Amino acid sequence: MGHALEKIHRLLKPGSVLVDIHPTPEATEIEVRVGAQMHTAGWLHETDDYSDYAAADEALAKVVKSGLFAVEREGTLSFATYADTLAELRDYLTEGWENARIDEITLARIEELTSTPERDKDIILRERVRIARLRPI
Amino acid sequence: MPIRLDPEDSEATALLDFAGSFAGKRVLEIGCGDGRLTWRYARHAARVVAIDPDEDEIKAALEDRPPDLRVEFRAVGIADYDAPDAIFDTVILSWAL
Repeated sequence: MGHALEKIHRLLKPGSVLVDIHPTPEATEIEVRVGAQMHTAGWLHETDDYSDYAAADEALAKVVKSGLFAVEREGTLSFATYADTLAELRDYLTEGWENARIDEITLARIEELTSTPERDKDIILRERVRIARLRPI
Repeated sequence: MPIRLDPEDSEATALLDFAGSFAGKRVLEIGCGDGRLTWRYARHAARVVAIDPDEDEIKAALEDRPPDLRVEFRAVGIADYDAPDAIFDTVILSWAL
């Protein structure tokens, strides 16, 4: 990661901008929307990506400390992924998010919330994502 | 309906806010995936190079590319991406660190 940031520094013109977007090492919240009602169902847990996200934070902090970049602004956003059904969500996780796990209590809660006759509903993964604007020095 | 990523538009909105104007800028996007974010700013930039080591994602991006957008997609990671020094005004690291 450090080498990547050094290379990015080399590619940037003086006075230019680096925008970094990456997830925070926080569990992803799972919500279920049924009509106009939003319900918290539980959490999606990851078995190894958290350490990657923490390492990304550390790599950025290191290049800032070394004087390669200066942080001009930072914040967080809520990145949502919508699925219509639990089966669809499970397929999505199996294909592209192998280390994700939904515990039994959360699964039961999702099934309970989505078993209503209401047809207008979504299952929503909500990730907390960090965004930062950095200036090469 | 298939899985929908960021239908609330939070990421693109934050990117446009944090990056400032793309007008006339030369932009490198690292970790572009299927171009989900690329389409949101590329129209305004002077030149966009979007890279990702996943060839399938780059193939998907090329298939989905709006015909009026000129984006140079490359299936390569940042470590192997070859370019002269100091040529970009904006670099976007998109879930790539």
